[in-house]
Amino acid sequence: MAGVQVGKRIIGADAPVTVGWENIGRVEGGPIKQFVFTYFQPAMLLLAIGFWYYAPNWLAVASTAIAIRLGWTVLLLVLEWVNPRYSSWQLTWKEFATDAFYVALGMTFLRMVDSYVGDGAIIAAVQDAFDWDKFSWFTGLPLLVQAVLISMIFDFGQYWMHRAMHNWYPLWLTHAPHHYITQLNINKGAVGNPVELFLIGLGIGGFFDFLPRAFLLAGAIGMTVGIYQHINVRFNTPRWWRYIFNTTEHHSVHHSQDYEATRSNYSGTWIIWDRIFGTCVDGEAELLGMEGGRRMDIGETMVFPFREGWRSTKAALSRRLGGGAAVQPQLEPAE
Amino acid sequence: MSGASGTLSAPRTAMVGLSLPLIDHIWRVRGAVPIDPALSPEEAFARLDPLLRTPGTVLSTDGEALAYDKPNPSAQDKLATFTRGRLWIERAGSGAVLRFDLFSQALLMCFLAPLLFLGFAQAAIAINAWEAASPEAAEKAAKKDADKAKPVRKLNPVDEFLGAPVPEDPSKKKDEKKDKGRHSPDEGYFLAGFFALVYLAGRWLEPFLVRRRLRAALAGPPAT
Repeated sequence: MAGVQVGKRIIGADAPVTVGWENIGRVEGGPIKQFVFTYFQPAMLLLAIGFWYYAPNWLAVASTAIAIRLGWTVLLLVLEWVNPRYSSWQLTWKEFATDAFYVALGMTFLRMVDSYVGDGAIIAAVQDAFDWDKFSWFTGLPLLVQAVLISMIFDFGQYWMHRAMHNWYPLWLTHAPHHYITQLNINKGAVGNPVELFLIGLGIGGFFDFLPRAFLLAGAIGMTVGIYQHINVRFNTPRWWRYIFNTTEHHSVHHSQDYEATRSNYSGTWIIWDRIFGTCVDGEAELLGMEGGRRMDIGETMVFPFREGWRSTKAALSRRLGGGAAVQPQLEPAE
Repeated sequence: MSGASGTLSAPRTAMVGLSLPLIDHIWRVRGAVPIDPALSPEEAFARLDPLLRTPGTVLSTDGEALAYDKPNPSAQDKLATFTRGRLWIERAGSGAVLRFDLFSQALLMCFLAPLLFLGFAQAAIAINAWEAASPEAAEKAAKKDADKAKPVRKLNPVDEFLGAPVPEDPSKKKDEKKDKGRHSPDEGYFLAGFFALVYLAGRWLEPFLVRRRLRAALAGPPAT
């Protein structure tokens, strides 16, 4: 495969990747369908911001956000069914149940662990240790500025954590199972080893003080922008949107079977971070996964980082200690 | 199919000496679809080939039956839910049916998933009780009360102009959640119910789809 040169890199040499906006697929259908799938994303973002901006205090609480999230997930599942991007990514019962298991693990087990060792706990400990105050002047900023700051600061952290995961083998081992997904559906973001999901959830936003409503607004941005990373819906995304925000197209390039393509589009919500740091590749891909698209089951996902870490350590030790015996081929960080 | 092999009239059981007449309905799906009596078994199985002959599938003959094993089917494999199975043809009078006996690890795991989440809910309750009883808890509570009162935040004039609701006094509602503990068992209970529903949906949907796919494959031209 020839591939396409993007900057200094050749994208699509190992597996097919469509590079460039002019080459990606479009919504097929009548004018109403075209209209809906062109303006759905911006309309929902505005609606969510409007709601959280004006919702009275008794309604602007976390439990409302959870209820909305649930309804929103159902709506997006319907969209996947009505207007799929690729029929080869169709959600099956088994895929749905598997994805739901990871979401459920995040809502129960991971949340319990997170309350002891997550970023909230770490930041509280650091603040106690050094008697730092929060950057409290942030609360005087306009709400939307606060919300965008929260979202961008968190995403900045995610960008570098994610990039580190693709460039440092121990971190890669935790992230690799997520790259074994072979299709994008809305709950696929939760699929992965719990260690990775914990690491990617770490943020530095907790050092700053924001109004509670600003957090809800930031959550609304994440819910109506970041969510489209993993979705099987064909949109005619507006140009300005895909310039600043991450899209399912960007993220499909990141999940492609092509090695170079995976080393791009690291951000969660703000693709602008990738543009700034030179890792953005505009385009899309259908053929996703690792090892030619081998599906990784739940059991292997849970043990993979530890198993591969143990194997690699053993191999490295035997090399260093001069064993010189045939070393098993180890998994390359070929994200 | 796990366990010893059997004959058509006496299908093999899950384990030797153990008969599971009802409980194995949880993970096993048995049924039949009518086929054209003129089709020979070879022709019928040839038509099923596209369904079965996917990467990683191991096919074998088990008497007159065709057995398959898909250790790790791809997400889009039409038989992804049923990783093992046996198919055979039965003739009765002038008619014929293709019988199937399929095993699904996914259905079994989904059936058991509520137990796991009930377990998490119980763990949440246990940890809450344990933490409440520990001597540190009292200290922490005392420390929390001694915390300086949080100042009431003001909105930016831009937001005041646009009419956003004024922030609440953060020191007001402190007492509400005092005794609830760090973890909530509610998510665990909710998810246990959710996976029970997902199981029921799958137990109905997946056999329905298998029947439909087998019927469609048998009606089509044989695979080349």
